[in-house]
Amino acid sequence: MVSLYGSLLAFIAFVVYILFNNQEVLYTAHDRSELLYGVTFFTRIMSQPFAALQYVGGWLTQFLYYPALGASMLVAIWVLIFIVGIKAFQLKGGSSALMLLPVACLLTSVVDLGYWIYFFTIRGYWFSQSVGLLLMLLLLWFARATPRKWHFVWYISGFILYPLLGWFALLFVLCLALTEKPSWQEIVCFLILVSTADIWHSLAYSNMKLEDVTMAGFPRFATPSDVSTRLSVPFWIMASVIVLIPLTKRFLDKWFVPALCVVASITFTSTFMFSDENYINEMRMTRSAEANNWREVVTIAETAKRPTISMIMLKNVALMHEGTLLERSFPMGNEAYNKFDPDSVHVSFLEIAAPVTYYNYGMLNEAFRLSFECAVQAGFSPAYLKMLARCAHANGEDNLANRYIEQLHRHPFYKDWQPEKVSEKIKELHNAYPDEITGVESSDGYIVTSISLWYDSDSKLASEQALFFSMMRRDSKRFWASFRKFVKTHMGEEFPIPVAEAYIMYMDKAPENKKVIIPVSETLYERYKQFWASLENNVKSGLDREAVAEKMRHDYGDTYWYYNIFSRRVY
Amino acid sequence: MKRNILSCCQILAVALLLLSSCVSHPDVPSESKKTDSLPAIYPDYCDVTIPYNIAPLNFMLPAAEYSACVARFTTPDGKQQTYGKGVKVLIADDEWREMLEGAKGKSIMVEVWGEKQGQWLAFSPFELHVAADPIDEYLSYRLIEPTYVAWSYMSIAQRNVTNFDENEIFNNAITCNNREKGQCINCHSYQNYKTDNMLFHVRLSNSGTVLVNDGKVSKVNLKRDYTISSGVYPSWHPTEKLIAFSTNLTRQAFHTANSNKIEVYDLESDMILYDIEKDSVIVVSNDPELLEVYPTWSPDGQYLYYCKSVPLPEEMRDKDIRTTYPKIQYNLYRKSFDAEGLRFGEEELVYDAASLDKSATLPRISPDGHYLLFAQGHYGCFHSRHSEADIECIGIDDEASENIDIRGVNSDGFSESYPSWSSNGRWIMCASRRYDGNYSRVYFTYFNNGKAAKAFLLPQADPENNTFLLKSYNRPEFMVEPVTISVEEFSRVFD
Repeated sequence: MVSLYGSLLAFIAFVVYILFNNQEVLYTAHDRSELLYGVTFFTRIMSQPFAALQYVGGWLTQFLYYPALGASMLVAIWVLIFIVGIKAFQLKGGSSALMLLPVACLLTSVVDLGYWIYFFTIRGYWFSQSVGLLLMLLLLWFARATPRKWHFVWYISGFILYPLLGWFALLFVLCLALTEKPSWQEIVCFLILVSTADIWHSLAYSNMKLEDVTMAGFPRFATPSDVSTRLSVPFWIMASVIVLIPLTKRFLDKWFVPALCVVASITFTSTFMFSDENYINEMRMTRSAEANNWREVVTIAETAKRPTISMIMLKNVALMHEGTLLERSFPMGNEAYNKFDPDSVHVSFLEIAAPVTYYNYGMLNEAFRLSFECAVQAGFSPAYLKMLARCAHANGEDNLANRYIEQLHRHPFYKDWQPEKVSEKIKELHNAYPDEITGVESSDGYIVTSISLWYDSDSKLASEQALFFSMMRRDSKRFWASFRKFVKTHMGEEFPIPVAEAYIMYMDKAPENKKVIIPVSETLYERYKQFWASLENNVKSGLDREAVAEKMRHDYGDTYWYYNIFSRRVY
Repeated sequence: MKRNILSCCQILAVALLLLSSCVSHPDVPSESKKTDSLPAIYPDYCDVTIPYNIAPLNFMLPAAEYSACVARFTTPDGKQQTYGKGVKVLIADDEWREMLEGAKGKSIMVEVWGEKQGQWLAFSPFELHVAADPIDEYLSYRLIEPTYVAWSYMSIAQRNVTNFDENEIFNNAITCNNREKGQCINCHSYQNYKTDNMLFHVRLSNSGTVLVNDGKVSKVNLKRDYTISSGVYPSWHPTEKLIAFSTNLTRQAFHTANSNKIEVYDLESDMILYDIEKDSVIVVSNDPELLEVYPTWSPDGQYLYYCKSVPLPEEMRDKDIRTTYPKIQYNLYRKSFDAEGLRFGEEELVYDAASLDKSATLPRISPDGHYLLFAQGHYGCFHSRHSEADIECIGIDDEASENIDIRGVNSDGFSESYPSWSSNGRWIMCASRRYDGNYSRVYFTYFNNGKAAKAFLLPQADPENNTFLLKSYNRPEFMVEPVTISVEEFSRVFD
């Protein structure tokens, strides 16, 4: 008993630790989970098997708005699974700890998604499997509590309940068959279950493919461009454990079993959990940016060692709002690193942070379009509904904004949500350029390319952005065009040091015939010469590019020259 | 049978909705403050003309302003009935039928009270004019997000307009065999409003045109070596087993600031005639310099009407279409047709939109052959994305009224597109984005002797569904009977 309770405590501590570390993931789960109000959505979702549980799962996912609240609800369901599982399988002593294994699988399934969280379309995923397993175990418990002669009814109920419970209905009947010696009538019922999906397909789901009815509700991770079998592993293991428990329980009432189960659970979850600092920081930065908390965005950016493109972009938006973009951006660093993504899923800046970035640059049509494209594929989740409403509101399309706001107001935690007043900066940038038509330029670099062309505008803010993004592009032609406009719109103002650095560099390496002369400090010019001298020396010493970059980072990492020479990403 | 089972979820949803809202007959407020204005009900059904066989016109007051709504309906024989639950007015189907039956050719008076901050306001009453002409019982449309490049689930659905039943004709999931390519379904079309001869296209994965010929389903490929694409916008000949199609190379681009957001244009387009019996494709028109699109037959089948672009000014001809697109304008033309010899006559200009600096698209001839409806905007061929686009109507023979006025069809500043006639020629249907500029909805207008009454929105069991539905009604088409072939039966032609 001591071993069991000790193991349980250790497991609970582990679960709390994992969920605490994944708070941002849980918040993002609610933010990217679609649950729409209205007959059409309800009809569409309910026209599939397992739909009711998906709907319930989707509804419960809303509570992850407060990660602690949502996580507590998940934990409560898991506690019930543990208790009901013990009753259903009539586990005793040390073998009770076996029920920790399915719980660990469910925990793993919540924290192993990685970048799939941004675009997978399994409605109600976060809760539906846990609720499904709980219902299945409750059924098993009830079934085993009824007189044996009535058990064939439970076998039939497996078929009847398939539209509700999906694959859990089949698992229930399998477990029931394994916990007792079935009669021949029950075996006949059991065999009929093999054709459950076919029968239901022809009875009620003929608008769907048979393969989508088979094993309904079992999470399959596939999008038009990506497939993952890894993410289904926790569910296969959970199902295997559930099936094996009735077969092995009598051999496993041993003192060491609880400890073994806890070790296995912790090892499994730790192995499969997606763990990456940037992954979490991207979520934090996006959430802060959506709340216009620019200070927080900058603070997170300051601590990031190898930021991703989403983090770089959000940092620059934040610095624009703080009014220190040209002064601080390059010293903080603008080199973006690839995201950690063992699954190589097709998720990029576009899905993670582009809508809020576009919006803040006043590119409202682009922000709307991108949000719409993503929402059509991944679902009209709160993240997209909020951004669509903000764009429509900023564009003066109030009825359109209201359409999305009305949906949000059905969410328990967005009842009073309204798009904020559009900032003057967003308005200024939005009005800086006339309309033009573009193609399907949905690449990470679209913003950089587009904004670096804003040098015709007389807007002071737009000229700063054009200059900044021409520097990001390392494009001398655009630099000079935007620099001239910047000089005009910033008459009498001091040049930010990175701009002066870029000016020195382009005057030296790519001068234009019609030169713009501005005063540059002697110290800065000397430092520029030292930078090149140092670079030449290091190259001559035979070091490769990476080594030179690393060696010069300490002395020159804060300069535009360093970015220009060593940054690998060409926007 | 299967279709009934499939729609049970929807019936359940509607039933739950109605149960939760419980049709009730409240008392009218004993005290209220009179206002001179009409109620701001949604949808706007004030003083509209409706067919006697339409589903109940449920409506609501804005929930943000009002806490309750009561409506009293008074029929021509003086009978009265009240409705109201919260801010919604949900009318019992059997009572509605009775009201309309008694009011055929007359009007029903509707008084509305709204409770605002604890006080009841009595609005000016309005009338529902009940036309003695019925509307076609069914319509079909594609339900799709007003999408840009990406899409996911879409369906072609049919709706019984005399009640709230809606079910799928086909969807793009059941036969999609390549997730990466995806599948698009579009351009459902019927011969003479009937469904035993119909078609729709399936693009990308498992592609082809699904054709129903005297009730028999098949999949055909309309692409030939000598056509620029397979068939796109179809029109069934009214009597022969012939279908005119345009063939198109269509592209889209996106506005960076314009509220129209999307620009859809053709790089090339021609017209073909498909002979179903012979499975042969004849080129009707393929001017390499100009764009021909949206064919439509006259009801007697003797003319094929269509749109054709006018030549661009010389100096613009070599320019990129992204520069020239605002200058591309279409006129309406027709060619006579000899069904026996499958021969077309000379081209005749029917409507010179370009001379008015406009562009005319999507022509439809009234069943009596007197009127021509079309969508008109400033430029281009895809007016569903042009906020200035309106539905226009002209007379095309001597029997047409000289005083045509269809302003009632149109909204101010939002796109109206895809016009069509009911089979009796008394009802005009169009897709309009008038609520928010983005999501198209189906509107009906009574048409009599050249005059169009005020348009009204396709009624829903819950009026809020118009707001909550994040899909557009695309290409609404009237039908006099439902499609009885199930989704699964259609899908079998892909095996």
